[in-house]
Amino acid sequence: MKTIKIPFGPQHPALEEPINFIFEVEEERVVNVKLRLGYIHRGIEKLAENRTYHQNVYLVERICGICSFAHTTCYTQAVEELLGIDIPERAKFIRTITAEMERVQNHYLWLGFTAKEAGFETLFMYTWRDRETILEVLETISGKRVNYGMNTIGGIRRDISDTMTEQIEDKLNHLENRSKYYKKICTKEQTILKRTVGVGILKPHDALSLCAVGPTLRASNIPRDVRADEPYAAYGEIPFKVITYKRHDVASRILVRIDETLESINIIRYALKNMPKGPIRVKVPQRVPKGEAVSRVEAPRGEDIYYLKSDGSDKPVRLKVRAPTLANLPSLCKMLIDVNIADIPVVIAGIDPCIACAERIMLVDTKTKKRWIWSGDELRRYACEWYRK
Amino acid sequence: MMKVSNLIKTQLKSEAREVIVPHERRMFIPIAKEHLRKAMKKLIGLEGFTHLSTITGVDIGSQVELIYHIVYEDVLVSIKVRVSKENPILPTIVDLIPGAVLYEREIHDLFGVRFKGNPDLSPLILPDTWPDGVFPLRKEWTPERISEKLEDNNENH
Repeated sequence: MKTIKIPFGPQHPALEEPINFIFEVEEERVVNVKLRLGYIHRGIEKLAENRTYHQNVYLVERICGICSFAHTTCYTQAVEELLGIDIPERAKFIRTITAEMERVQNHYLWLGFTAKEAGFETLFMYTWRDRETILEVLETISGKRVNYGMNTIGGIRRDISDTMTEQIEDKLNHLENRSKYYKKICTKEQTILKRTVGVGILKPHDALSLCAVGPTLRASNIPRDVRADEPYAAYGEIPFKVITYKRHDVASRILVRIDETLESINIIRYALKNMPKGPIRVKVPQRVPKGEAVSRVEAPRGEDIYYLKSDGSDKPVRLKVRAPTLANLPSLCKMLIDVNIADIPVVIAGIDPCIACAERIMLVDTKTKKRWIWSGDELRRYACEWYRK
Repeated sequence: MMKVSNLIKTQLKSEAREVIVPHERRMFIPIAKEHLRKAMKKLIGLEGFTHLSTITGVDIGSQVELIYHIVYEDVLVSIKVRVSKENPILPTIVDLIPGAVLYEREIHDLFGVRFKGNPDLSPLILPDTWPDGVFPLRKEWTPERISEKLEDNNENH
């Protein structure tokens, strides 16, 4: 059978991570996947070596617009470990609360995005409307909808007042109802089930050997979560469940994330109620003692890991960042083998990479050398039409 | 809590140059590069092993230090090996841990370390037109020097 190569990507104007896949297909079936990154590599690790520890808080916040708080938490934890300081209890709770709010907004954004890839635009409109609620909450406590600027070395920059807590409570109730409604839709509605059940399988042993992280791993029924395995911030003091599902497909990845939003809402409620009084930050020196530290957090998309090395000056010698998408790409390549061309968008969306909808798709017939180009939209339309047949 | 770390200490007795334990959840273990694969095989066979988190490269002067961050249920072990900048060759671990495939390609791009046995070391992050011998995360390649080199490169093309 002749094999056709389909380059997918790399540019997309709206999403932050352009990527290039080359799919080798036989008729409708994907037989091999190759990938290429770097289209928006900004050299942040190199930049960090030329900035002070405090400047780097703002730099790492801008690695990702969606999970910015996870990055600053991971970074400040590493610096605080080298400084040998323990941040105030109240700051730990506020870090937990903000991190969970970020998880809710990320999962709502993702659910809408995945629904859109599956041709279910109504759900996209609903989730993105409801996401505004959690963004308003984040704006209430931080003053900003994205890149909250909450974290600093030694604690948190803004406190959560009692009036804010009252305002947040109503909104959390609303979000809880919405999440329950989405769960009903995603377990009953044929529009979503037909496109996601049994699609993009990642068996548990593959997920482990390919070092998958986050909801992608938990949807393959592996209960790994940095918040539970290595409790940071206030996670050690708050009861919560690690969500797993057993079907190993895109449907499981959807349900893991919806359940996680409900769990996050409970964590936020518990933390707001049990938050100790006291200071929110401690003063820290400019220079960081010589040494090295490794810090991990559970970002919305999975494990973030930072390695930090100091020579005793006010700038790091080395700051290594590994965000969850890179860890999940080998698993994604595995999931894509044997899927139909029409399922590519929804499987890519399944790992929450922010790159699923590529700008241009070029199809190359290797025998006739015939080429044709599709936009990301055209591929999505093709996928929806293919399923209507 | 200390069970896995004690096990690791005993297992790596012949390979470990020293064992640094900054706190109960972290271990740094420098080993000779000849022992890398042997140590990795031992480490992934231990109970409680979950995944390889990433591989970090650090420029330490005339050498590049690679740090393999391996996660267990209750401890994160960082195995360190060093290679010279002149002859930066290490054996691959992709056959032992398939999830290492992109981390090795990333280090190959940014530090110029070649992993013997890795089937695909084509550029992952750097562009196709990137000049040979420029390894952006090595310290001798300052941002200014990289810019100059790229400008020269563009003029020649």
